[in-house]
Amino acid sequence: MEVKAELVGNVWKVVASPGDSVEEDDVLMILESMKMEIPVTAPVPGSVKEIRVKEGDVVKEGQVVAVIE
Amino acid sequence: MSEGAPADVGGEFEEKVGELRGRRRRNLEMGGSEKIAKQHERGKLTARERIDLLFDPGTFVEFGLLAHQQSLRGNPVDPPEKTPADGVITGHGLVDGRQVWVIAYDFTVMAGSMGAVGESFKTTRVRELALRYRKPIVWLLDSAGARIQEAAGSTFAGSGQLFYDQVQMSGVIPQVAAMLGPCAAGTAYIPGLADFVPMVKGTASMSLGGARLVKAATGEDVTDHDMGGSQVHCYESGVGDNEVENDADCIAAVRRFLSYLPPSNLEPPPWQPADDPGDRNVEGLEKLVPASPRATYDVRKVVQRIVDKDSWFEIKPTWAKNLVIGLARMAGHPIGVVANQPMSKGGILDVDAADKAARFIRLCDAFNVPLVYLMDVPGFLVGSGVEKEGIIRHGAKMLYATSEATVPKVTVVMRKAYGAGYFVMCGKGYGPDLIVAWPFAEISVMGPEGAVNIIFNKVVEASDNPEATRAELVAKIRESISPYVAAAWAMIDDVIEPAETRRVIVQALEQARSKKLDRPWRKHGNIPV
Repeated sequence: MEVKAELVGNVWKVVASPGDSVEEDDVLMILESMKMEIPVTAPVPGSVKEIRVKEGDVVKEGQVVAVIE
Repeated sequence: MSEGAPADVGGEFEEKVGELRGRRRRNLEMGGSEKIAKQHERGKLTARERIDLLFDPGTFVEFGLLAHQQSLRGNPVDPPEKTPADGVITGHGLVDGRQVWVIAYDFTVMAGSMGAVGESFKTTRVRELALRYRKPIVWLLDSAGARIQEAAGSTFAGSGQLFYDQVQMSGVIPQVAAMLGPCAAGTAYIPGLADFVPMVKGTASMSLGGARLVKAATGEDVTDHDMGGSQVHCYESGVGDNEVENDADCIAAVRRFLSYLPPSNLEPPPWQPADDPGDRNVEGLEKLVPASPRATYDVRKVVQRIVDKDSWFEIKPTWAKNLVIGLARMAGHPIGVVANQPMSKGGILDVDAADKAARFIRLCDAFNVPLVYLMDVPGFLVGSGVEKEGIIRHGAKMLYATSEATVPKVTVVMRKAYGAGYFVMCGKGYGPDLIVAWPFAEISVMGPEGAVNIIFNKVVEASDNPEATRAELVAKIRESISPYVAAAWAMIDDVIEPAETRRVIVQALEQARSKKLDRPWRKHGNIPV
């Protein structure tokens, strides 16, 4: 399942790594937008298949930032 | 046998009464046992079962039970027993002891389609009387739409007055459209104009054109559910308010919604005794709200601790989640809450959040429900994306609604109050009856980081250690945006401990109870839509 950024911003911290197993609502990474820390969370439990961004990247709204299996 | 009476009078009397009983019994059976079983198989209750849940026991008074389909232009019609009540059940009853009118489409009769008798006489009568007595109206929607065999032809020219009536009712009596099944074609404007629209997951749908019409008109292959189920309207479009699991939950939501509103705009909202002291300290906020303005939390937990215990009823919880709205009570009096939600998109305001807030603020203002603004807003989202979406036009709705509202308004600046976000969340210039801030509030045209980037850009660039210089400047600006500066100017009324929030709001609502604001006469304003 693809995880998308809900708004435009910078990737501030990447918390999860490929292979991690995650529960629903676990934080995968934190975006920074409008000076707020905006967590991106796992929509479903599973394992992290891909993290498609790195810290400092600019992401757009709706951009796929991670994939959960 | 009484003296002088003809011998057969008792028999004829009984016979006539017996006929009435038979007619009533037949129509109370709706579309018959097979259709009722099918309705239940779909997970739906019948229109009469829903009415029983809506009203206090034994209080439903039915109008037009004996109606049935009539011939238009000499067209053949089904026999009366095929169209009991013409497929729509109408009348009034009590909800928590207060009169409410109902229009319930009966899917077991010709798929709840809207026939000439039902539309032109039965539902028209309900709308007229609800407005005449200034009482709320509830639609229980489960209808295939217009009954095409009756509606085809240019006599269509005489139809459509229901929406005109709804607009006249708007802001005069509360209107609820409970979505319990399909609601296709033009009738989708009933929820479109209503004040509250709960939708049952899986069975309810609404769309301007039903699936078959869409296929014919555009070629698109889509089901009614995929096009207009709660997964669309309660999550994406914002036309639906609250997604509920089943019919019983839906009716319970209707009753709950009505419990906060007066019967009409002429009356105050209903007070209920509360067993939660108005001067209670709000405990545990230090564990909920991070003092760092960048960190997020769930503002709904804050709301629930501030308002009367168990009184919080969130509206539109699954759409535009970055702004939270809902009805609640404080010291037993209904209030409307508008709160930024840092947990979703950082609480930033975008086009949907502004729409959501504006419509809710107008609902509360129309029905005399005071507003409580809980502010923690990093501002409106900026950038090319939102400009294309018309953020200025949408944001202006929220400005408009907050300015226009004459009900008591109380503003609590919890943390951030940045830019136009401060204005639309009822800042000083927007007529709050009380505006207070928590000690770590930040009130500013923008956050300190943004201010440094713009004002001291050159100073930072020229520095040998730009990051240290930047941090120093940010700290300096952070001091200047503390609430004590605004309090020193008396631009805000007080700085309060977070634990005092409930008592302060209750007192402010009491202070403003007699509020009456007169505005210059006008036909109506021109809200940006």
